[in-house]
Amino acid sequence: MALTQYDSAEHIKGDARAALIDLLYRLGDDDLVIGHRHTEWTGLAPILEADIAFSSIAQDQIGQAQAYYTLLHELGEPDPDSLVFDRDCRAFRCASLCVFEKRTWAFSTVRHYLYDACKELKLAALIESTYTPLAKLTRKLRGEQKYHVMHGRMWISRLGNATEESHGLMQSAVDALFPHALGLFEQTEHSEKTAAFGLGPDEATLCDAWRETVTGTLTESGLQPPLDAEPIYGGRRGEHIGAMTELLDAMRKVHKLDPTAKW
Amino acid sequence: MVQNRVPQNDRPGDPGYAECLSAFEARVARGDKVEPGDWMPGAYRQQLIRLIHVHANSEICGALPEGGWIPHAPSLKRKLALVAKVQDEVGHAQLLYRAAETLGKSREEMIDELITGKAKYSNVFHYHAETWADVATIAWLIDAGAIVNQRMMAEGSYGPYARALKRICYEEAFHLTHGYDMCITLATGSKLQHDMLQDAVNRWWKPIMMFHGPSDGVSTHTDQLMRWRIKLKTNDEQRQEFLKQYVPKVHELGLTLPDPNLRFDEEADAWRYTEPDWDEFMNVIRGNGPASALRLRARRMAHEDGAWVRRALEAAARGNRATVNQNDE
Amino acid sequence: MSDTQWPVFEVFHQQARGEPHVHVGSVHASDAEVALLMAKEQFGRRQACVNFWVVPADAITATAYDDVDIFEHGTDKSYREAYGYETTRRVRAQTTKRPRSLRPPEE
Repeated sequence: MALTQYDSAEHIKGDARAALIDLLYRLGDDDLVIGHRHTEWTGLAPILEADIAFSSIAQDQIGQAQAYYTLLHELGEPDPDSLVFDRDCRAFRCASLCVFEKRTWAFSTVRHYLYDACKELKLAALIESTYTPLAKLTRKLRGEQKYHVMHGRMWISRLGNATEESHGLMQSAVDALFPHALGLFEQTEHSEKTAAFGLGPDEATLCDAWRETVTGTLTESGLQPPLDAEPIYGGRRGEHIGAMTELLDAMRKVHKLDPTAKW
Repeated sequence: MVQNRVPQNDRPGDPGYAECLSAFEARVARGDKVEPGDWMPGAYRQQLIRLIHVHANSEICGALPEGGWIPHAPSLKRKLALVAKVQDEVGHAQLLYRAAETLGKSREEMIDELITGKAKYSNVFHYHAETWADVATIAWLIDAGAIVNQRMMAEGSYGPYARALKRICYEEAFHLTHGYDMCITLATGSKLQHDMLQDAVNRWWKPIMMFHGPSDGVSTHTDQLMRWRIKLKTNDEQRQEFLKQYVPKVHELGLTLPDPNLRFDEEADAWRYTEPDWDEFMNVIRGNGPASALRLRARRMAHEDGAWVRRALEAAARGNRATVNQNDE
Repeated sequence: MSDTQWPVFEVFHQQARGEPHVHVGSVHASDAEVALLMAKEQFGRRQACVNFWVVPADAITATAYDDVDIFEHGTDKSYREAYGYETTRRVRAQTTKRPRSLRPPEE
């Protein structure tokens, strides 16, 4: 049976609409939160050139979040700034992978690669989304996404087995982050419908493709992906690790001084 | 490599120095740019290295007070703009260190001197950015002061520095507008916002008045710098230019400035103000400002935490070359 | 490579197909691929761009500014230039000398 195409916000109703909203929150919140964490390196990266490049990636991520929030707003959700500054912590749908503070360059680049490898596969699927505004947006994002993957792979391949020290740090980051990266594919009460309505990819299929991609890159770089790791879930249900409240508090520190003011 | 040769006969008294100097000064007077391979007086080289090094340090240290506020930016638009602005500052440091490198000092040396406290950076970054309104004030008024300085320096005699500054001035225009926009929002916003901004302006005015450096009577470097077109205006001239452009704009936003002696002297066509305390200025730039220790610690940690990354990529590059060589055989 | 800041690569940027690559600056990078990825953001994050080149700085050989006189012309080289010829004037002169019958018919 041919899938229904939804040309705009007015055309999507019922279960499909609920599934779309859930999908957009997952996309937007992941990008916002990981983008926020990536910005923690701006001004402090290991070398000036790397600082500049990683800052651009952080900006791209936050910009993408803003774009997904704008689609949500068109669907009747609050405006993008309200979604960021006024929403309850438990209403966020980001995976725990995105939430940790920056820690080391190894930790941040491994997270960046694991995340962007997933995001690229997601975008490849979302280009076919039955929700036309999402498919259109996806087409615009694919270029910058391609750069993110090139950049992420570069760091994995350079640091993976360059020195004993770098290998050790990168392998520990992979071990620590892999279960949380698997959490990116956590099913939600809507995710089956997301795939059934053709709005977005099936999470299990996406996860298999992702495992294959990252296993290739990591092993080529002398790193062992812990393939039998147990996924750490919760983020997609709004059950977040402790760093999430700290992140939101920091984000709202100025805004809450006068929440009704324009900043 | 497009690189300078080993400097020779570039000190007064060296054989041929006088002839080289007169040719050099004639070139500078014509408005020709000096390029890295050219003969230049040793003092010109040293002055420029010192100046560009301080400028580069100021960009990378300037990224710190504002960078600390990125997590707290109160809207998505402000957050993106602030990240982009701090990124530009890192980018400017990159361009400037490179310009200084063409004079024969390596970036490694310059960064080492910064993190060990041997090299200076702008007075204004030795202070804390205490509130969000400080971020707005820095982005508007300090960047405004910087633009006055950099537009002038972009016309200077050293080619690589002038080229870097052209690009920097272009990007600073965005910083200035972004800062002005933030200040307008706060000035015209709620009482809390307006008061917060007034408070920030009050705190920053003194450092801002010192930003262009000691007054012409006190400054030791100015004469020679002007003759060699390293600098085209005196510190006081730059300060006047800044005041003429920005005091009216500050007043226009309904803000006051905390100097009872600040007034425009129509006859002299100049602003009058309380002379800044230049001893305090010297003390601050020597590393005794309120945030000096914090800034150095942050830079040092960033440098040390990144050391393994720089080593690893160097090793990876050696590995790559080894592989290429093997294939050649 | 004792410098912990990595070697220098010169960066050339092409704004559009058909345009020349123009030198825009340099980056410190451990290898060429890293240099390209870094140059893209340091020199391409605002400007339009379709292509970047990076070249190890020590691979560039340059003339010396002291030798700038080699670019001066010792003798008249206007024969290399379009302006060095007076074709229009010469043709006009020729046509006014010709007898009326040889000129193109007038309308």
